[in-house]
Amino acid sequence: MSAATDTLALALKEQEEGLLNCVHCGFCLPACPTYRRLGDEADSPRGRLHLMRAVVEGRLSADSDAFQLHISRCLGCRACEPVCPSGVAYGQLLELARQVGGEARRPPLLNRLLLRVFGTGWIARPAMFAARMLRATGLPALAARLLSGDSTPKGARLGVAMLAASGSPGALPAAADPEHPGSDPAPGGDHPAGNGTPSDSTPPAPPTAALASPTPPTTVGLLTGCVQAGLFSRVNEATARVLEANGYEVVPVPGQGCCGALHAHAGDLEAARAMARRNVEAFEAAGVDLLAMNASGCGAAMAEYGTLLAHDDRMAERAAALAARVRDVSELLAARGPLPGAEVPMEVTWDAPCHLLHAQGVASPPTTVLAAVPGLRMLPLAGAQECCGGAGIYGLTHPRLGGWIGADKVRSVLDSGAAALVTGNPGCMMQIGAGLRLRGSSVPVLHLVEVLDESYRRAGRYQPEVP
Amino acid sequence: MSEAALAAGIAPDRVLLPESVEEVQAVVLEAGEAGTRLLPAGRGTWLGAGGWGVDPGRGDPDGEGQPGGGGEPGSDGRQGGGTDSPRIAGTERLDAVHHYEPADLTLTAGAGIGLDHLARVLEPNGQWLPFDGPACDTGTLGAAVASGVSGPLSSRYGATRDNVLGLEVVTGDGRILRIGGRVVKNVAGYDLVRLFTGSRGSLGVITRVSVRLFPRPESDVTLLFGGDAAGAVAAARRVCTHEVPVAAVEVIEGDEGGVGRAAAVAVRLLGGVDEVDESRARIVAAAGAEPSAALEGGESRAFHGRRIGWEAGAAVVARLAALPDRLAETLECARAVAALAGGATSADALQGVVRVKGSCPGGDLAALAEGLLRGRREMAAAGGTLTLSQAPAEVAARVGWTGGGGEEGGLTSRIKALFDPDSTLAPSCP
Amino acid sequence: MIPKALAVSLTGICGSDGVIADRDRLLVYESDALTAYRHRPGAVVLPRTTDEVRRAVQAITRHGLPIVPRGAGTGLSGGAVPLGGAVVIGTARMNRILSIDAANRRAVLQPGVINAELSAAAAPHGLYYAPDPSSQTACTIGGNVAENSGGPHCLKYGVTSRYVTGLTVVLADGSVVRLGGQGREAPGYDLVGLFVGSEGCFGIATEVEVGLLPVPEGVRTLLGIFDRIEDAGRAVSDIVSAGLLPAAMEIIDGPTIRAVEDSVFAAGYPTDAEAALVIEFDGLEAGLDAEAARAAEFCRRAGAREVRSAKDEEERLALWKGRKKAFGAMGRIAPDLLVQDATVPRTTLPAILKGISEIGKRYGLVVANVFHAGDGNLHPNILFDRRDEAELERVERASKEIMQICVDSGGTITGEHGVGLDKKHHMPLIYGQAELDTMWGIRRVFDPGDVLNPGKVLPEETDPAARAGWGDGAVGEDLAAAPAPAPA
Repeated sequence: MSAATDTLALALKEQEEGLLNCVHCGFCLPACPTYRRLGDEADSPRGRLHLMRAVVEGRLSADSDAFQLHISRCLGCRACEPVCPSGVAYGQLLELARQVGGEARRPPLLNRLLLRVFGTGWIARPAMFAARMLRATGLPALAARLLSGDSTPKGARLGVAMLAASGSPGALPAAADPEHPGSDPAPGGDHPAGNGTPSDSTPPAPPTAALASPTPPTTVGLLTGCVQAGLFSRVNEATARVLEANGYEVVPVPGQGCCGALHAHAGDLEAARAMARRNVEAFEAAGVDLLAMNASGCGAAMAEYGTLLAHDDRMAERAAALAARVRDVSELLAARGPLPGAEVPMEVTWDAPCHLLHAQGVASPPTTVLAAVPGLRMLPLAGAQECCGGAGIYGLTHPRLGGWIGADKVRSVLDSGAAALVTGNPGCMMQIGAGLRLRGSSVPVLHLVEVLDESYRRAGRYQPEVP
Repeated sequence: MSEAALAAGIAPDRVLLPESVEEVQAVVLEAGEAGTRLLPAGRGTWLGAGGWGVDPGRGDPDGEGQPGGGGEPGSDGRQGGGTDSPRIAGTERLDAVHHYEPADLTLTAGAGIGLDHLARVLEPNGQWLPFDGPACDTGTLGAAVASGVSGPLSSRYGATRDNVLGLEVVTGDGRILRIGGRVVKNVAGYDLVRLFTGSRGSLGVITRVSVRLFPRPESDVTLLFGGDAAGAVAAARRVCTHEVPVAAVEVIEGDEGGVGRAAAVAVRLLGGVDEVDESRARIVAAAGAEPSAALEGGESRAFHGRRIGWEAGAAVVARLAALPDRLAETLECARAVAALAGGATSADALQGVVRVKGSCPGGDLAALAEGLLRGRREMAAAGGTLTLSQAPAEVAARVGWTGGGGEEGGLTSRIKALFDPDSTLAPSCP
Repeated sequence: MIPKALAVSLTGICGSDGVIADRDRLLVYESDALTAYRHRPGAVVLPRTTDEVRRAVQAITRHGLPIVPRGAGTGLSGGAVPLGGAVVIGTARMNRILSIDAANRRAVLQPGVINAELSAAAAPHGLYYAPDPSSQTACTIGGNVAENSGGPHCLKYGVTSRYVTGLTVVLADGSVVRLGGQGREAPGYDLVGLFVGSEGCFGIATEVEVGLLPVPEGVRTLLGIFDRIEDAGRAVSDIVSAGLLPAAMEIIDGPTIRAVEDSVFAAGYPTDAEAALVIEFDGLEAGLDAEAARAAEFCRRAGAREVRSAKDEEERLALWKGRKKAFGAMGRIAPDLLVQDATVPRTTLPAILKGISEIGKRYGLVVANVFHAGDGNLHPNILFDRRDEAELERVERASKEIMQICVDSGGTITGEHGVGLDKKHHMPLIYGQAELDTMWGIRRVFDPGDVLNPGKVLPEETDPAARAGWGDGAVGEDLAAAPAPAPA
């Protein structure tokens, strides 16, 4: 048995000792996007746990096709965790299982290449730059349009469309009354108690009530991330502005890097740990009260640094302490109200990122944030709790199944009748955006903060006015 | 009993009234040895409802136990041997209450206990067995189970089969079986209780029955709305699909509605006083008219008692069933039969079942038979059924009781053979 | 492993992604939700239509292999465990609701539809599907049909068989028959009723017609807290005999309360209580308050220290939470769990509960009870650690004693979980040889060749020659090879 298998065995045993063991009840089956589509028990969380246990018991080889296939086919969306009555920490076990699987059999080249791109700054930066340049030419958008009509996008086609989808969504609908673009149309009753009274001409007053702690933290460090920094810099900028507008002080965190989520999900736990150590040190050095996340995949990963580094004597405690301070940007904003903005008259629908809803259990803050935008109407999205098929690099490594799941998501977005889809994770934005483009739809995909940011801009909350 | 048999056109070889399950077993075995048919009965109410009384002299052409219930009555898979006159095993002396624990809401009694007697046993505890199928007023518990025909209350309380918990039976080959139990929830083994419920004496003689009881509702109100025939059906359908759940909805044509109109819709409300008052107000509002009459308590019960006994004495009774939203078509089909039979219709709107009864007053039986066959074809075309419960021999012979089996792939005859291999008992159904 | 020729023909029927024949990939099908039994199937097929099921059955029987139907594998009696290298026919892909006929309050669906999803689909019509097994978010209608599933609200509304009005069934010989349908007036034997609860031994239901009910307008939920479980049992009996008909009455005992409260699913039950009784009334708004008030009074008179009532849906869900999460929370008390499923006459509840607690004490075992009290359907859960062999033996003895006192009181060995593999040896406790022989006979009416789910429900016939081959572990991986010995 390899060291990795021992680790998996240890983790399974720890969960069992902690009485977090799978009782085989099957409640996770309907929550699992791959089981719902394939109908094979081995593509369900219960089935995968069964395979993991079999490897540990020595009844199954980690090198077997069965283990490799079914463990890699998991999206890692963790929709199974909230429905588990026994509280099995599936996500953690999956990462260990992937590590075991990866040691037994080398992952495919594509996976390794993609992880290398994200994990290595000197490669990532030029790669992202090249991608931005390509996107700027408009070629991907054109290509995506030309390639549209096929509901199951594959490989390269998806990649091109994703790149196109990461672009700026363009102008949002203007308010009905263009003469008073800076007015604050929010009814007083919607205004959360304790917040400063917004005014058109003065900067927002500092908040008087915040998170539950007696001395409210005001400094936050933003994880700028690799994909966000590379392709979604506008989202990072908007994040900083809306946080500042709500009274947080966003301080720079030099030395930070990729969160390691993709590596952990893929089972490259050593690489993930190295990235985690680097980030723990960087954020500690910045001395921030809280860590702000605008990519829920990263947020979920950083919130679990304590577990990831649990066996690192030097870092375990520090990692756990840092992890406890990780917040999704929607949580930070909801804790402050957030301040209302000006009207953005638009019908939107919200798709909950798996790593926000299932992995971090953040359900209501995003809706609270969107409620602060007057004129915005929320339409229900069928299957909003289900994965979009993006799942990190899943859409690229499993184009067929990921495309199937993605196509279902795209269909429900179109069926919702919304003029835009709002979500909270760049991976989801690219996956769904690509799917929409390939279906020939022009429905834009927005990050939550982009909507609020636009609302604030219209309300004149930014002084001086942001162009 | 002999009179009931004769009335049903059966000239019994002898009538036996065993007093214990062992005696029943002996009677069954004896009949088997003698090669004589043995018809299980309670008080004889249903003897005309199996077809075995018809044309007793006829031989058996098919040997598969197929008709009787199914194709041609009288040809029931029984070959020669002994007399063609059947014996009758009446269970009326098996009428003891073996176990009754009011707080359990369950009861076990001999199959021969009269349902009228049973009601008196339950009354002091404010409980009842809500069997309101045909003849459930004077018939026996065993016969109600064997016939398996449910009444209009079945959507509220479940059909007969939903309320039988356990049975003791003597099979056609003389085995005593105790199946099911006396607890309200039981999935141990295959559900033979349901197989025997509605098996019409073709698999075994039911000797003991355990049933689930219900608290008698505090309030019992029947609202009668009068109108023309089409209006009554529409009103009945509105009540059936209304948000307020009701216990039963019947459409009664002719004088029996008692409201002096062409048709009456009888809506029965059961429950707590507040609940029934509220339901009543909302149903009346939905109907858009005050009811012609509102029967309360004993009056309501008496009204429905008459519905239960409605078929008594009729020369021909047919049952037409289709999905409830086809009530108008089913009723139309039933009216055509009723016209030929010189009788009336009574519809259970919630179940989509319409009963027809007639006295055939010197009528043209050939025309009636043709009318029934036509009705059956029409019902079949609409996905429904027409079954005979009672008919003059000549009509039954021509029409058949059910119109034959479905696509059960020989299951029915194999089941019959398992319990009654020599076809000692009533013919299999269908 | 199945012969290559069979794998090829199955692939021709269900497609290459619809056939699993790789030995390793089959590992996950060795158990259902009762993991004490493990037997790997020869193959798994995942058909999508009645015709695919029919052709698969024909192909498998041609090769002389047995067949085990499987829904979501949430059963608790080992009913879906494939013995003798059987081929599993899984219904996971047969998950379409074919029609919802609101005018007639019925629906036609494929067997792989999840119970709760049927109700969700019926909700826009103001209708729902009444039987609500605790696993309703995961279990399939086909599985419910096979097991005749119950659930908390069956107290008022009855179990699965009351709602199934028609079936399309593939028999062991590959023939397709329609039973009942278009409502419930079909003449002839009640073959639908006979089929429901046949635990996969009579055929594979490929289409199911069910009745739906209008969603009740109002609901009232109460929670009674008791210091003695017998008192809670008495309250149940009193409420029933007073003529009240609650939709559900559920008891959660002290050990279960403490397990739930220790978990992340804490429901706010007092941890020093010995029983919590959840009572629910539903129906028209009018009169519900009065009924709830009467039930609350019965609880107080029986000795409840406190009776809570839910003011809104959120509070209602909170009161139910302890009940709904109980099964999973058991996993937090001990690593292993033996679930029983006996039904007893309601009036014997207090005595039986006392008896169970005494048996538990005598064997030094924790027995946690969480059950459908209104129906008298007990679920004593014996908690243990299978690594302790001495304890395991005590568990088996205690289990048998508990079953015996339930049967002696006039009860039965299973109220809703089914007999399956786990309880077939208990069948002689309630049935004599004549009844068991008759059940064998009925089984052979449907399946003369013993093809479907062999080794389940009925103990082997007395003549061993007639039953050779399908004993526990006769073929395939036996329990002995598994880390957990069977608690049967």
